[in-house]
Amino acid sequence: MPNRILAIILIQTNIKINQIEAQYLFRVEFMRLSAKKKALLAVLGAAAGFINGFLGGGGGVLVVALMLAVLCLPQKNAQATALLAILPLTAISAAVYFLRGSVDWQPTLWTSAGVAAGGILGAWLLSGLKSNTAKIIFAVILVAGGIKMLF
Amino acid sequence: MTWLLVLFGFLSGILGGMGMGGGTLLVPLLSFLDIPQKTIQAINLFSFLPMCAAALCVHAKNKLLRPQNVGWLVFPACLGALGGAFAAHSAPNDTLRICFALFLIAVGIWQITVAVRFAAKLRRRRTVVFSSVRCLKAISPRLLKKRRGKA
Repeated sequence: MPNRILAIILIQTNIKINQIEAQYLFRVEFMRLSAKKKALLAVLGAAAGFINGFLGGGGGVLVVALMLAVLCLPQKNAQATALLAILPLTAISAAVYFLRGSVDWQPTLWTSAGVAAGGILGAWLLSGLKSNTAKIIFAVILVAGGIKMLF
Repeated sequence: MTWLLVLFGFLSGILGGMGMGGGTLLVPLLSFLDIPQKTIQAINLFSFLPMCAAALCVHAKNKLLRPQNVGWLVFPACLGALGGAFAAHSAPNDTLRICFALFLIAVGIWQITVAVRFAAKLRRRRTVVFSSVRCLKAISPRLLKKRRGKA
């Protein structure tokens, strides 16, 4: 009987360890940041903001990486919170682009409609995204897009 | 044209809502159409705003947001975004396009290495689980017999 209980406990802990989120099980989430981490966040955040303003996007990927590495947030929380952090940056950059007159409203409105619909679907699906393969496919598409844009 | 805009927006919106960087997908997609680079960037920034607000509502409902300590990142990033947006306006379209392409390739390769490393880590963890299950089988054959009888 104790043998059986031990076996069940062992199997269950193994299943738990096997879950993807478990890589964060032993990481401590710091409420108070050290000065080094604050400086790191500020400098790298400013760099991500510059890239977001200069290239008109792409800061989100960098901010997610920052949150994973420096704030030690779990993947899902990092992705959700990155959206919160990116919103003011994008608003500021968008205002500058608007004031300098490089906005073409017709395509902007159509694309915004599509993006808003997709965004709600994506936010709703976030809990379902687990596959590492999907990430690799996405990254390969990025590289292909980059090579296409070069020429 | 308008349907393509909506479709491209929808596709990148799904990724954007997840917080995986929809803009990095939208910009190369839009570069297939004949739109100048600065306008593409403005489209990307503006279409992000309503999507972000909607996705944030969904994330807040699902309690995925962790806004502690994010201020350290946001304020310097806002300054960076301001600088970046002004820098983008003094740069010609071709420079922006090439910068974006290089950025995409760099991010893509970086994401591929991260995902492949993560896959290797998962495989190692799985072998640990399987070997421990094998140990259990060796230790308690009686337990397994009982289970099989029940099934």
